[in-house]
Amino acid sequence: MNSSKAVLSFENAPPFAAPLRFFLTAPLFAVLAGLLVMIEGPALFASRWTPGALAATHLLTVGFMLQVMLGALIQILPVVAGADLPRPLALARAVHVGLSGGGLLLVVGFWFGQPWALEGGGLLLGGTASLFLVAMLFALRGVPSTSPTIRGLKFALLGLAFVVALGLLMALALAEGWALPLPLLADLHAGWGLGGWAGILLAAMAYVVVPMFQLTPAYPVRPSWWFPLAVLVALLGWSCGVVFEQAWLVRLSQLLAAIAGLAFAGLTLRLQAQRRRAKADTTYRYWQLGLSSSIAALLMLAIAALWPAASELPGWTIAFGILIVVGGFLPFIIGMLYKIVPFLAWMHLQNYGATRVMAPPMPKLLPDVEINRQMQAYGVAFVLLLAAVLLPDWLGRLAGLAFAVANGGLAWVLYRAVGRYRQAWLDMTLKLAIKKR
Amino acid sequence: MSHPKTPHVVDARYMEPPGPFEATMEMLDTLKDGEKMLLLLFREPHPLYRVLRQNGHSYETELLPDGTFEILITR
Repeated sequence: MNSSKAVLSFENAPPFAAPLRFFLTAPLFAVLAGLLVMIEGPALFASRWTPGALAATHLLTVGFMLQVMLGALIQILPVVAGADLPRPLALARAVHVGLSGGGLLLVVGFWFGQPWALEGGGLLLGGTASLFLVAMLFALRGVPSTSPTIRGLKFALLGLAFVVALGLLMALALAEGWALPLPLLADLHAGWGLGGWAGILLAAMAYVVVPMFQLTPAYPVRPSWWFPLAVLVALLGWSCGVVFEQAWLVRLSQLLAAIAGLAFAGLTLRLQAQRRRAKADTTYRYWQLGLSSSIAALLMLAIAALWPAASELPGWTIAFGILIVVGGFLPFIIGMLYKIVPFLAWMHLQNYGATRVMAPPMPKLLPDVEINRQMQAYGVAFVLLLAAVLLPDWLGRLAGLAFAVANGGLAWVLYRAVGRYRQAWLDMTLKLAIKKR
Repeated sequence: MSHPKTPHVVDARYMEPPGPFEATMEMLDTLKDGEKMLLLLFREPHPLYRVLRQNGHSYETELLPDGTFEILITR
């Protein structure tokens, strides 16, 4: 076979429908979170333990973050690890239904104080995550950790197992009235979720996507190997501190996790400063927002570890949550969606047209002007949410509305891109039929 | 660009996909059987590995401290 005639092998790439269902559902959960904030208003900003705050948090972490992360992993596993998932479309369908249904049940359980919904949501999410983890373990069996990305991915899956197990335990404890130290466990659950799962996964993917999409130098090897390990060690220390009731170990571990996160964010900023792409595109700007906001949140974590009374200050924990989730993880994820969705659409069209009919270029599938406008709306919503921590009576409902609008904008932009993809598919079908004659 | 391992080098470290794949395939076409080429990249190209294996080419990968993957491909 002539090498130049070879094309990138697509038979192992999952169909577009596999990841797309996750990407199109996630913004709807974020819209619901915004509407919930709008309905609850100032009451939601009073404490992290209010039903509304718990429901909104899980709409974002489970409904948005987990949704996109699992969908993206189903797509990206063959590319970053050379591992093939068995029956990716069937897995995607099952995980998508379980995640969406479980997430909604959990939110109903929190908001309306319904034990059956908490229990059902926890069990459904636990079962769905278990199915996903088994499929991942099956695909990754025998795959050596030849890159920091593959090892980071394996560590992140361990983090996912911990966060889901802790979440299920707490959902059952709340529903059944078990006597557990829920505030301590909730902090640990958040630590495993945001650090051990989302944080390590983000870093493992950043090692690949930041140099590839933003044309920066690579992440140096030594810190790339060390970052996931440092976060994992910190979370294991934190867990031991909770189990053996050693408050000093919990604080020391939180400090270590914060330092590791700050080092990763600082390194990423340094690499971005050396990028070769002159134009600052939307993904780059979203990542700049994500890095800045994460750094602020991690500094708060470090301060609270050194001076625990800080976390008792009014609005401290709510502000931390907004900074790390709304200002940190969501911008990272949306920034990546704006690269992944047009690339996948283009790749599937290109593969469909083979060499006979060309696919439309990526900017035609997802125009810059649309995503720039959405980013501006998101930036306004983020600032309003932060300001609402200080002025909940004045800004609480407005911030919720702004967040719902910004995420409605994200949904609109992505649905439009899929519409253009479908239209391009029809056009190409017509052109291929004409060429065959 | 040359390299101690081989004079045939594709430096794809600042190329966007699918540039590295296309440049590698084009260079492989210019080589004789048994000749080697080197691909420099900031990520491990698993989809390329698959195509190389399908086409009967062998490869060895080394990860350098600066994060560069050196992939030595034998046609």
